[in-house]
Amino acid sequence: MATPASRGTIVRWLVVPIVVVPLAWLLFTGLGRDPRNIPSPLVGHPLPVFAAGTLEGTHFVSAELRGRPAVVNVWASWCPPCVDEHPLLLDLAARHIDDLSVVGIVYQDTADGARGFLARYGNGGWPNVVDASGAIAVNLGVTGPPETFFIDADGIVRARHVGPLTRAVIAAELTALGIVP
Amino acid sequence: MRRLALPLAVAALLALGALVLLEAIRPAAPPTAADQALQIAAELRCPDCFGLSVAESQTAAAAAIRQQIVDLIAAGRTPAQVRAYFVARYGEWILLLPSSPLAWWLPPAALLVGAGLLAWWLRRGRSAAPPPDQATPSDDLRGRIRDEVEQLDA
Repeated sequence: MATPASRGTIVRWLVVPIVVVPLAWLLFTGLGRDPRNIPSPLVGHPLPVFAAGTLEGTHFVSAELRGRPAVVNVWASWCPPCVDEHPLLLDLAARHIDDLSVVGIVYQDTADGARGFLARYGNGGWPNVVDASGAIAVNLGVTGPPETFFIDADGIVRARHVGPLTRAVIAAELTALGIVP
Repeated sequence: MRRLALPLAVAALLALGALVLLEAIRPAAPPTAADQALQIAAELRCPDCFGLSVAESQTAAAAAIRQQIVDLIAAGRTPAQVRAYFVARYGEWILLLPSSPLAWWLPPAALLVGAGLLAWWLRRGRSAAPPPDQATPSDDLRGRIRDEVEQLDA
């Protein structure tokens, strides 16, 4: 048991599971991670307050969202994944017109460009806040469109989804908000 | 020319050292609000580009963050409060300089542990080598081998 040869074997068999396996696992999982997908510190906290003009010419105040769950979608007309997810948002807004608010935030875009997008891909009728200075996006910790925030009826951010929405993501997040998707 | 190269290099190094020393001991002027804003921007990660700070980036998001830093400092916030403001929105990810002391101590600690392990492994290899007296047969054994070989030959 205590001969040098058997001790060397034990050390060798310990080094592999204790050092090599966790290191390999760490590096391997790092490969598959999306560097943009960082958990938002806003989750579990109230949605930061914002107010600005909309594409539709009205003035929007984020306090209007209180009272029922809301989906806040950050988008831009120059963003191809925003085109991909747009039909899902139109469908979502149409089906949950009574129990959910939808708000768009136009990110780093011109009002004309954003209006052209809605004319081409469909206007769901929800307000689209124009973030001209980029201050609202910074306030929400946005790294790039599309990003979608799911807010509960008390105004608490329950989830943030980075990248285009999918049916599965919408179903899961609506269920978490207590809405039948 | 060759003979001048070494003295020139030494002189250049000395001059550089003197400059660094002068810069280090020069009394620093109190930072202006613009200096502070630039300093904070240089320590924040640009949210929509890779590997650039907010101070270096030309994107609209970086410009919006720079503007907010200036506004927050003008409103009397300290640099630490400004950093905390952005961490509350983007997470620790926004900081180019990690705030956790672990992030600073872990790499040198890992290096020290690795060097220690290597030293232990090298020393163990030397002491574990078979002692020479065990490897070469003793005179007694030599005699017995000779006797047995002679018996076989006979």
